[in-house]
Formats: sequence, C-alpha cells, structure tokens
Amino acid sequence: MTTTLEHATHAPSKGGGLARRQNFLTAMIGGVVFAWLGWFLSHHFLDSTSRNYNDLVTTSLAIGWIFGFWLGIGALNGPGRWLIGADHTRADDLYYAGENQGRARYWKYCTDHKVVGIQYIVMTAVLLGAGGILAMAIRTELIVPGNHFVNQQVYNGFVAVHGMLMILALIVAVAGPWANFVVPIMCGARDMAFPRLNALSLWTLVGAAGLLLSVLTVGSLTMGWVVLEPIADQAGVGMDLFAMSIIVFTVSTTVAGINTICTVMTMRTKGMTLARLPIFVWASMIAAALGLYAFPFFSLVESQTLMDRTFSTSFFVSSAGGTGWLQANLFWLMGHPEVYVILLPAVGALFEISSVMARKPVFSYRTAIAGMTGLASLSILVWAHHMFTTGWASTLGGPFMLTTELISIPTGLFFLVIIGTLWRGNIWMKLPTVWLFGFIFNFIIAGITGIYLSDIPIDNQLHGTMFVTAHFHYVFVGSVLFGAIAALAFWYPKVTGRYLDETMGRISFWLAFIGVQVTFLAMFISGLKGMPRRYSSYSMLFEHSNFVTTIGAYMIMAGMLVLLGAVVRSWSHGEPSGPNPWHANSLEWLVPTPPPLENFDVLPVITEDPYNYGEEMVQA
Amino acid sequence: MTDNKKKGSLQGMFWTWVVLTAISIAISLWAPGRFMPRSMSGSMHLTILTIVIFSVAASPVAAGVYAAMVHLLRHNIHRGNDVPEAAEPVRENAVLTTSWVLASTLLTVFLLVWGLGALSVDDGSNGSNPLVVNVTGQQWLWTFSYPGTNVTSPTLVLPEGRTVDFRITSEDITHGFWVANMGVQVDANAGTVTEIHTTPNKLGGFDIRCTQFCGLNHAFMVTTGNVVTPAQFSKWLATQSQLQKA
Repeated sequence: MTTTLEHATHAPSKGGGLARRQNFLTAMIGGVVFAWLGWFLSHHFLDSTSRNYNDLVTTSLAIGWIFGFWLGIGALNGPGRWLIGADHTRADDLYYAGENQGRARYWKYCTDHKVVGIQYIVMTAVLLGAGGILAMAIRTELIVPGNHFVNQQVYNGFVAVHGMLMILALIVAVAGPWANFVVPIMCGARDMAFPRLNALSLWTLVGAAGLLLSVLTVGSLTMGWVVLEPIADQAGVGMDLFAMSIIVFTVSTTVAGINTICTVMTMRTKGMTLARLPIFVWASMIAAALGLYAFPFFSLVESQTLMDRTFSTSFFVSSAGGTGWLQANLFWLMGHPEVYVILLPAVGALFEISSVMARKPVFSYRTAIAGMTGLASLSILVWAHHMFTTGWASTLGGPFMLTTELISIPTGLFFLVIIGTLWRGNIWMKLPTVWLFGFIFNFIIAGITGIYLSDIPIDNQLHGTMFVTAHFHYVFVGSVLFGAIAALAFWYPKVTGRYLDETMGRISFWLAFIGVQVTFLAMFISGLKGMPRRYSSYSMLFEHSNFVTTIGAYMIMAGMLVLLGAVVRSWSHGEPSGPNPWHANSLEWLVPTPPPLENFDVLPVITEDPYNYGEEMVQA
Repeated sequence: MTDNKKKGSLQGMFWTWVVLTAISIAISLWAPGRFMPRSMSGSMHLTILTIVIFSVAASPVAAGVYAAMVHLLRHNIHRGNDVPEAAEPVRENAVLTTSWVLASTLLTVFLLVWGLGALSVDDGSNGSNPLVVNVTGQQWLWTFSYPGTNVTSPTLVLPEGRTVDFRITSEDITHGFWVANMGVQVDANAGTVTEIHTTPNKLGGFDIRCTQFCGLNHAFMVTTGNVVTPAQFSKWLATQSQLQKA
C-alpha cells in the first residue's frame, strides 16, 4: 500500500500490441465502422417498406456506434482479459493509469482519477460551448418579432438540443471534474474504488454526446428536450438518436454514481470518519445516490419511447391503449430529482469555498448534511408539480404543492450555512469568492420564483410561459453555473499548479453576472406578459423584453468566452500557485501539485475534520 | 485575533435591510399589475393578488440575505495576495439554527395555507348555470363549439358574468389551452376531455395561446376571444347559427 509510484523511473513498457495504441481516434473509427455495420445489417435484413424501417435502422446504427466506440477506446479490454483468465498485471494497470505517458493519456481510456477529472473539465466545456452556441442562435432568432435567422424547423431542433446539452453539461459540470479529481484525495484514497468504471463513465459520456450532436445533422427533432409524448411520435429519426443518446448517458451516470458512493464508503483513509468528511464529499455522495434513483427513470422512459417507435409497442400511444401522461410521470420522476443531482455538488463546493476563504469552520456542518439529505429525499416526491396543468389527477394538486413548498426549508438551510460560515469571517476576496457571492445573489431569485410556480393558482397562469424558463435559468445559469465556475477557480491551481487568471476571471464574472440579470429579469417580464415557452416567433407585445433578453444573453456569452480564454491561457501561462494557494486544510491541498499517480506516498491518518481554522489559536 | 472594527455595525445592516425590503415591496406591488395581462376573471384577480402577497412576504427574506451580503462585502472583505488570518471559529449556534428553521417553516406554512385556501375557494365558477364550450386543439389552430347550437368558431365569444365550462380535447397531439387574461390553463389531450371553469367579469378582448410545445407552428397557434354582454352574446349566437346553417 505504500509503494512510492511517483518515483518510478522506468520508461513506458513496450509491447501490449494494439490494446496499447487505443485512443480517441481509434474510438471514433470503431464507432463509425460499427455504426455502418449496424446500418448495413439492419438495412440488409429489414423490409424497407415497413413503417418502422427508418427508426430501426437508425437505432441499430446508434447501438453500433456506441459498441464500436467502447471497443475502439479499449473499454472492453479489462473485463475481456479478466473473462478469459488473462487478467491485467500490475504493469498493465499502471499503463492504463497513464504512467509516464504525458499528454497522450488525456486521449486514452485512462483510469487515473485525476486524468478523468481533467477529461471531464474539457467535456463540460465542449457541452457548454455547443449548448451556448445554440442558445445564441435561439436568442438571435428572438431578438426582434418575426426574425428569420434560422428556419422554424431548425429552430425547434435547436431548442431541444440546447436543453439536453445544457442538462448533460450541468450534470457533469461539478460532479464530473471534482468528484473525480478531488474526492478520492479528500477521502485519502489512491484512486476511485473502480478506476476502470471511472474511465468508462467518461468515455460513455463522450459517446452519448456524439449521438446527441448527430441529432443536429439529421434535424427533425421537434419537441423540446422533455420530448413529451405523443408529439415525440411525430418526430423523425433524430428522435431515435436522441433517445439512444439518453440511454447511453444514463449508463455513464450510473457507473459514475456507483463509483463515487463506493469510493466514499470504502476507500477513506484511517481516521477519516463520516463526521470528518469534507462537506463536498458529502454533497458528491448524496448527489450520486440521488442520481442512482433518478436516472433509471430516464433510461426507462426513453427506452419505451424508442420501443414505441421501433417495435410499435404502445406505451405512450393513446390510440393504442397507452397514455402520454405515463410518459410525463416517468419523465418528471427523473426530471425533478435531476435538478438536485445538478445543484448539490455545486452547493457542496460552495460550502467548501466559504469555509476556506472566510478562514472559519463550516457553520453548522450537520445542518448542511441534513439540508442536502432532506432536499434529496423531498425531491423524489415533487415530480407532479410539472403536471399541474396537464389535466392529470387534479386531486393530487394539493399534496404536490405541499411537498414542493417544503423544499424551501432545506434550501433555506444552504443560505444559513453559507452566510453563517462567511459571517464575521476574514473573507479572502479571490476569484472563487467573487463567483460565490454571485451565486448567493442569483440563488435567492431562483428560489423565490420557484415558490410562485409551486402555487397552483399562479402556476395555472405562468406554467408553460417564459416565466418558468427564466426561473430555471436562474437555477441553472445563475446558481449552478456560477457555483461550477467558483469550484473551477478554487481547484484550478490544484490541477494546473497555476491560478486561474484573476483579472480575466473578474471581467468574465461581471459580464456573466450583469448578463444573467439582464437576460433573465427581462425574460420574467416576457413570461408575466404572457409569452409562452418554445416560441420561434412572437407578437409585438413581447418586443422590448425579448430584445433586452437577447442583449443580456450576448453578454453572458462574452463572459464565458473570456472565461474560456482565462482557462486556456492560465493553464500554461498563469501565475504559479504552489501546492496550497488558499492555505486550506483538506487533504487535496496537502499533496503535491499536480498530485502524483496514486496521490500519497504514505496514506495519511486523520485526527480531525479539515475546518479547524482559528481553533489552534484558541487552544494556544 | 480578529479586528473589532471589521465587524461593522449591525445597525448599518438593519437599515440596509429596511431599505431593500421597502424597494422590494414597492416592486412587488407595482410589477404584477404593470406587466401581467389585464385581469378579466376572478381567478386572474386572485392569481395576481397571490403573486403580490408572495412577493411581499418574500421581500424581507430576500432583503435579509442581500443585507447580509452587503454587510459582509463592506466589513469582512480581505483583499490582496496574502492569506488573511483565521477568524474566530464558530461551528454552531443552536439559537440561530433553530430560529432559522422555525422561521422558514412558518413562512412555508403561510404560503401553503394561502395556496390551498386560494385553490379551494376558487374553482372559477360563480354558481350560475354554466355555459358549456367545447374546445378542440389541433396542429395548429383552436376550434370552439357551443353544444346545443350548431355554432363553431375559430375565435371565442363569451358572455360576461356567466360561468364558462370549457371541455377541452385534442384531435392530434397535446396542446395547452391558456386564456392569458383569465388565469386558466390546462392541456388539450387527445382521447381525453379536460375541464376547466372560469367566469369572465370584464368586457373586452383577450388572448388564447398554446402552452404545450406542439411542433412546427406552435408559436402561431394563437387566437383571440371577446367577452360581450349576455344580450350581445345571444345575438351573436343566433346570427352565427343562421350563417352556419346556410
């Protein structure tokens, strides 16, 4: 257990054949070849006059893509060799952990949790970038009434793919990079519990993103990201690719969630009791557990949608005994917990940042855990508030209004913990702190507008309007994205050994912060005035508020571009930070930067939690 | 250990809170009436009132958080590249945590009681003999028919002061029937009839928009309506009946 791997000097072991030459390129080749094979076989054997022909061929193609991608990246090597009794040797494992491979390992099926964390940073940026470009196209279309920047069909597809890309991006924005990069070190572990599953979750996400982006090339996805039935039934083959990308994505979240929970449960070092765990570890674990509950519904509902299309089952086809309400229920059973799968890691990171930056212990640590657990538990009981106006089970309106409004109690605890931690602190005003304050400001607006929508009489007016869109963008952009950027600025020095550029970071903050207020406050007004969601065009009534929203959206985009510039530039040219720039006490700051393979020379023994700021002085 | 002048005075924070609360309440009272569509039913009136009440109730809470933020930014900020000294460690405050939970619970209970109350008081009907209107959505238009007559219409004409019983369905996929001036919204589902009531209490035109995404021309699935006096309504129905018979 105490091997000192960072001192290993042997060169990358030669040999190993094809299996050691696999990388992103071979994955793409494998994906394309097998996608072609899937297409060819189904095309060859199926009756091309059958009603389901196009859907079946597209689904086979998508299945071929993902298996080819797995094969090409090398995801099946480890289990395959174990199966035939030729399990990996220690040298093989070190090879897959990327030992001595420099930058090449970032393109490979690498099992080192720190490499996976960095791959997730890039993946998040790619997804946010693609979704952001679509957002700009959407806002440009809506800048003035009757604009024709893109045609309506394309616009509708953009709305759907923008939504889904951003949801995927935010699900992984904090949990992907940081539950992988820092959580194992925070626990005092040498890696995740299942390093290969870790690589699998990342590369499966890449495969799923490929499928999702391919939807744009075939167009014809016309139903918004929630893809409610029965309209999904009218969509073209883009819907099949969309459903397959979700099914594949849920594989990624499931293995990632299992891995996070098992790591925290079994890999903690000596003395790292649950009560001494950094709060971000708790947040990651609770979010992972909630994801394990939520995402199977997503997989299920998209599988059923796909089966309706490919095999003429009729789960959601009302003319054949199915019901769209079933689809809506299953979707929102996933959809609401998913919001908290997204939110909790960001909140956990902000607890961490509050304590380190204010030089104080986390205030009311147990309340913080109770708040997160309470929120996660309640969130599985609120799904039908998305269905207040569907006409389904109106007697359930009261109970779901109750559960939804109860959410504000654990949410209020987050404010108690963050403000309690900052209170009377010596708050170090660095980039993470700036984004933390932005989060507090925006999250209040996000929370209060959520309360309006939980109230049925108000929801009867505002449901399905831009008010709802503005509300959840305050949650996702104003709160989660701000939290994710705070986390990025906070742990960036640990990844790169350099600070994220403070000046560019602050320019980006002000553009994004003002941009969010301009964009989404104006969008609230569009909603109050009565503009429905997902409109490709609108009347003069909503002219001014939409114009303002579009200008604000450009500001957010400008801010994000500046941030991207800062991230790229600081990676090689930033100011060196040393291993512990924030003088923090949790384990990830006590290892060298960048952390060596397998993190610790000797596993540490823990005697207290990492929040003892100021306490040694009290004792002295 | 920590510098007392950095703590700032809580009096300053109190006044910040008072000012922010006042601003927020002013916006709460002004914005819904300024931006929302003209109210033409009791339900819509109640909806606007509820938004105002919730906004006023939320004002001191939001203002409290913002005042705390302002206080922290004014008094507790350390700038520069050197790490600040540790602050006085406070891990728990039983009184604060308990009062916080109690206060947020009380607020939630208030919201809930108000919401459930509003829900039970208002089903949109005023006890009058309801006028039944069948609403049919299809890609991408609305059709209204008046049972007992042969009248169908692409626009909705309603009499003032009489409860309307909308029976809503769809010919194809799900649409969202929303009378933007009356605070009523429910989906039009194929194969199912959903019902919703409202009682128009103002004369004049109003807007109907589709709120469930329904494909290519979703944004154009709009129509208008008109609330007229009962006498005008009977006259309109009779004229339409004659016209459509011919």
